[in-house]
Amino acid sequence: MAQIFHPSMNTVAKATIIGGVLFAAALGALGSIVDRSPYVTQQGVIRDQPIPFSHTHHVKGVGLDCRYCHTSVEDSGFAGIPSTKTCMTCHSKLYQDAPMLAPVHKSWNENKPIKWNRVHNLADYVYFDHSIHVNKGVGCNTCHGPVDEMRMTWQHSTLQMDWCLACHRDPGKFVRPKEEVFNLAYDPKKEAEKRKISVADLQASLLNDYHIRTTGHLTNCSVCHR
Amino acid sequence: MKSEVATTSTNVPALAATELDAVDQRRAMVAKQPDTCPGHEHEEPTTGGITLPDTLRNLRSATPTKKLWRSMSELSESPEFKELLDREFPKAASEWTDEVSRRNFMKIMGASLALAGVAACTRRPEEIIVPYVVPPEQVVPGRPLFFASTYTMEGLGRGIIVESHEGRPTKIEGNPDHPASLGAASTHMQASILSMYDPDRSQGLLRTGDNSTWDRFVAEVMPRIDALRATKGEGLRLLLTPSASPTLQRQLKLLASQFPSAKVHAYDPAGHAPGSAGAQAAFGQDVNTVYQLDQAKVVVSLDSNFFVDNAGSLTYAKQFINGRRVREDNHDAAKMNRLYVVESTPTITGAMADHRERVKPSQIEGFARALLAKVGGTGGDATASNIAWIDALAADLTANKGAAVVIAGEYQSAAVHALVHAINTAIGAVGKTVYYTDPVYITSGTGTIEELVTDAKAGKVKLLFILGGNPVYDTPAALQFGASLEQVDFRIRVGSYNDETSFLCHWHIPESHFLETWSDARAFDGTASIVQPLIAPLYDSKSVHQILGLLTDQRDQSDYELVRATWGAPKSTITPEAKVFENWWREALNKGVIPNTKFAAETFAIRAVPAVSTAVGGDEIVFRPDPNILDGRFANNGWLQELPKPLTKLTWDNVFFISAGKATALGIPLTDKWDDAWGYNVTVSVNGGSVTGPAWVVPGHPDDVITAFLGYGRSRAGNVGNVGVDVSKIRSIASPWMGASVDIKRADGRVRLACTQTHQLMKGAGPRDLIRVNTIEEYEQAKYGPHGPPAHHGEEKTGEASHGGEEKHGVAAAPVAGAHESHAKPLGPEYFGGTADTAMARKAVRSVALTLYNQHMPSDPPYNQTTNQWAMSIDNNACIGCNACVVACQSENNIPIVGKTEVIFGREMHWLRIDTYYGGDSVEQADGPYFQPLPCMHCEAAPCEVVCPVAATQHDDEGLNVMTYNRCVGTKYCSNNCPYKVRRFNFFRYKSDDETTKLMRNPDVSIRTRGVMEKCTYCIQRISAARIEAKKHGGDGGDGIRGGTSFGKVEGENTPLTACQQSCPTEAIVFGSLTDPSAKVVALKSEPTDYSLLADLNARPRTTYMGRFTNPNPSIGNG
Repeated sequence: MAQIFHPSMNTVAKATIIGGVLFAAALGALGSIVDRSPYVTQQGVIRDQPIPFSHTHHVKGVGLDCRYCHTSVEDSGFAGIPSTKTCMTCHSKLYQDAPMLAPVHKSWNENKPIKWNRVHNLADYVYFDHSIHVNKGVGCNTCHGPVDEMRMTWQHSTLQMDWCLACHRDPGKFVRPKEEVFNLAYDPKKEAEKRKISVADLQASLLNDYHIRTTGHLTNCSVCHR
Repeated sequence: MKSEVATTSTNVPALAATELDAVDQRRAMVAKQPDTCPGHEHEEPTTGGITLPDTLRNLRSATPTKKLWRSMSELSESPEFKELLDREFPKAASEWTDEVSRRNFMKIMGASLALAGVAACTRRPEEIIVPYVVPPEQVVPGRPLFFASTYTMEGLGRGIIVESHEGRPTKIEGNPDHPASLGAASTHMQASILSMYDPDRSQGLLRTGDNSTWDRFVAEVMPRIDALRATKGEGLRLLLTPSASPTLQRQLKLLASQFPSAKVHAYDPAGHAPGSAGAQAAFGQDVNTVYQLDQAKVVVSLDSNFFVDNAGSLTYAKQFINGRRVREDNHDAAKMNRLYVVESTPTITGAMADHRERVKPSQIEGFARALLAKVGGTGGDATASNIAWIDALAADLTANKGAAVVIAGEYQSAAVHALVHAINTAIGAVGKTVYYTDPVYITSGTGTIEELVTDAKAGKVKLLFILGGNPVYDTPAALQFGASLEQVDFRIRVGSYNDETSFLCHWHIPESHFLETWSDARAFDGTASIVQPLIAPLYDSKSVHQILGLLTDQRDQSDYELVRATWGAPKSTITPEAKVFENWWREALNKGVIPNTKFAAETFAIRAVPAVSTAVGGDEIVFRPDPNILDGRFANNGWLQELPKPLTKLTWDNVFFISAGKATALGIPLTDKWDDAWGYNVTVSVNGGSVTGPAWVVPGHPDDVITAFLGYGRSRAGNVGNVGVDVSKIRSIASPWMGASVDIKRADGRVRLACTQTHQLMKGAGPRDLIRVNTIEEYEQAKYGPHGPPAHHGEEKTGEASHGGEEKHGVAAAPVAGAHESHAKPLGPEYFGGTADTAMARKAVRSVALTLYNQHMPSDPPYNQTTNQWAMSIDNNACIGCNACVVACQSENNIPIVGKTEVIFGREMHWLRIDTYYGGDSVEQADGPYFQPLPCMHCEAAPCEVVCPVAATQHDDEGLNVMTYNRCVGTKYCSNNCPYKVRRFNFFRYKSDDETTKLMRNPDVSIRTRGVMEKCTYCIQRISAARIEAKKHGGDGGDGIRGGTSFGKVEGENTPLTACQQSCPTEAIVFGSLTDPSAKVVALKSEPTDYSLLADLNARPRTTYMGRFTNPNPSIGNG
């Protein structure tokens, strides 16, 4: 019986097999890269806002506490976005005529809320609760990054599950004394020096004081998903 | 199936011979005694034979078992049933029945894979975030607020607490401070929130069907009202449904003073008129009757379904069940109350009866008359009834003078009510188990609907306001209300829906829902409370108070002002009195009860016992409002339509109830009915009309009687409610709730019905007693041996007060040393096989030895020492089958409805079902039914978890079997492997995309989409909320979550309540942490009557049950 394929086809066949495997691997890798890219996670992406609100100015410059605007961060799962009234406490007097602030005054005069573009958008099946994190000594900048350096706000972390789990698996590294939660310049080394203990001891004592379970409770599905 | 357990022992994998023996021994023991204590092995030889506690714990197995079944085919053990038992879903529900060729299969698979890949490549949509301009007081975004308000049932108030998320009411719960609720909630109370968000509600005023406005209405109607002033309101008529609102009463008085010739008519579509007529007959005046069942040892119901049909039923159910809880220290027959029920249509009250007699509706009166004679009252007739046990009942009533009560049926004739008043007087019940007060309803000066129809036909009605009900639909067709309406010059309808009545009126005005308006209401005992709105009206709607305000020159007053004026709000707001009132008002609102408004008990002398009503013959008919949608007012409420009806488990339809005997006589096949759920048509002719509809065999239904249910067959209910058969054509005006000389014929055809009775079946034959039913005598024998309670037993009874403290101690921590010192408690610590002081230790000893592997169960160390271990105890003896828990679960957990077709496929989504078992060897002589609520068991060795390929269902360290929806890929393996069949799969996208109903959802629970498995979570959102709250306040979140402060959903020391537990009127469901030694659930689980379902599977369910007990009268014998 005559040969159907020319011997050179052997090479083609080998190349196809290897190429196929490589292609599949590349496809998987590409998917993984895309999934972790800012395109999907929105990490570091600055979103336009109706008012170019600068955290740098308000936090670093004016020295406002986080809770001045994010009022419910200690009580509720939702940290709270300031009402127009909160803006107006200052801006009824300051920079009244700045065109940049026109939407605030418009909102106030017309009694219509300002529609901000959401920066941190967690999936709906994740029940994140700000209040418990803040009350257990997780600092604002642990997740939100150097907010006081943000002229426009961006999402500092990936907000992906492995990022959440990094802390939930080993919370010790990320907790600080409760009174330091809103201190964006907190340094565990300095805190440990102040207390005259090692950083490890500081972390251990905080975990103990705050009843943070390290036996695996924090990685239960039900802690975040329900 | 009986040998199933035994055969497993032969299939044990190869082990060393000694080990095998040990395993075999244990397994054999399990096979014999499903839920026994392994520690017992060492004790048994000393006592010889089976020890007392074993007989107690295996009470059901130890006694000659009676057959318990859910359907007729199960009873007859038909092959179809056996096939059904092996299937997870009924035929054709879960498989792809099309013939798929290999090529097509490849195509479909290829396409699926490609699409699945594409579907994963999505980004989250960009969202906007909208803060308040000025934040409202009290609202913290993300945290619910709770407000007290009042729901009215037939006009009488029941206190509620409404959960509100950022201004949206999301759930209705009972108000613990309100005497008609005591923290529990009925199905209707809870489902009424869906009615508010119903997209089919009318959304604007209609003038003969065209959109209009309130201003135009006022402009048109005011000249007509003013014109009537000249004749003092001659021709002005109002039609109301029963109400006990002091504000409405005040407004009606005002109306009467301004329009003396105007007339108010009242009618009650769901029927409570006979009670007041009966009081008229007995006392010569209307009297309100209040029962105190906590004082009663013997309760007799004459066709009264007082567990649900009475305005005080939540309270009555709790009082009654409190008198029959079987506990280790409170067990004996002398302490358990006894219920006799004489009724026609089977009810859930009849299901709880110790003695139930089915009679024709016309025989109830004779029974009452005979009972009156036998208890020594005057005016009775001892020969009027031939029920065998009437003498024993009379003796029981006489022996329990002052601790017995007879309750007349809500739909029984005035004569029965009058006779019952006489009986209660004769047995010394008045002032003890029953007391009388002034009437709670506003009744003075109202006419009947019949008078209205007569006047309308005579042309006497010029202007008619219909302020309640849906009389064109819900009155007997013989009344011809619709036709008479055409004779009224100008008719105005205020109602929630543009329904049958609105269709025939000139104006339709949308009525505000009770969560949108201010009002007030009195409860069954007179206690007043305010109806507080939670939200501004969603649509252009008005309340009844505003309409009456229009009539009485109070047009400028809001309903808020009208209600406050009733309760004495001063005009000025700055005077000291105003301040006092303001404080009083705020407190009344906050508490949900107005203090000191309960009516005082008064004495009324019995005047006369009515003469015998005319005797009736032939087949008889009973009419009842549907248990779920009542007279049709909830017809468009999907939750209530899909809620399996308490006894039949039918959804979406009404049927004619008949007995098995009648079915056979009519030629209706018995056995195939419940699996395929075919309703064979019958034609029922009575009162000059005839109706054809499906018949349904209900065990316990009397022969020669047929029961018809109202509320169905509507034409303009909305998108949901136009289903079923309208029976108004065969109702009579004079006797709307029963009829005689009925002709019942088999008609052509049959109707496919959606019945959940045979869905989610568990394999329960042989040693697997799914539901344990025993008499209290059997319990005593198992506990004390054949000689009954020991001699000093009587002493304990008399010296109850002095033993009280010790008994309490015994309940909370039975196994601690000291408990066995009391001779009355033979179940000492040695029985539980351990010396540790928590139920956890006992449970561990009871079940750890049964595992082959050295696995770490959540209840084993170290978990159990650091975290909570959630568990649930369900008392079958307390479950009355009212369905409140099912609706509570649906409301709390955003459970969708699926529609009739999907229910037929077995795809209903309720996370909690109530299994209903009948007992006995034939349908004709069946007893029960017995109810068993079935949520997820949260097995420690959960069979569902090991089969999930993507680890979407796992255990958490607090012992919860949790579901991660976003991981689920929908293989349904978990559901296949669940022996309890508690998992529900979203075969389609059942969730509603309607913008209005979205507002109602609980934001703390994920909305599930197509292809996702879901199930009971033990209300994990409530656990999380309580845990976070406790930990925020410095607690460690352990020991049943204590040490924190509460916010709403928590009881006492912050232990979370599950939604089902919270709504249960009889506290049949108790939830808590096994690590909390003081938790009620720990005490209940250490009760000897505690048992696990399918314990031989060793899945170690966290939900366990307590047996059902009956207390038959020994002198009656086999009840």
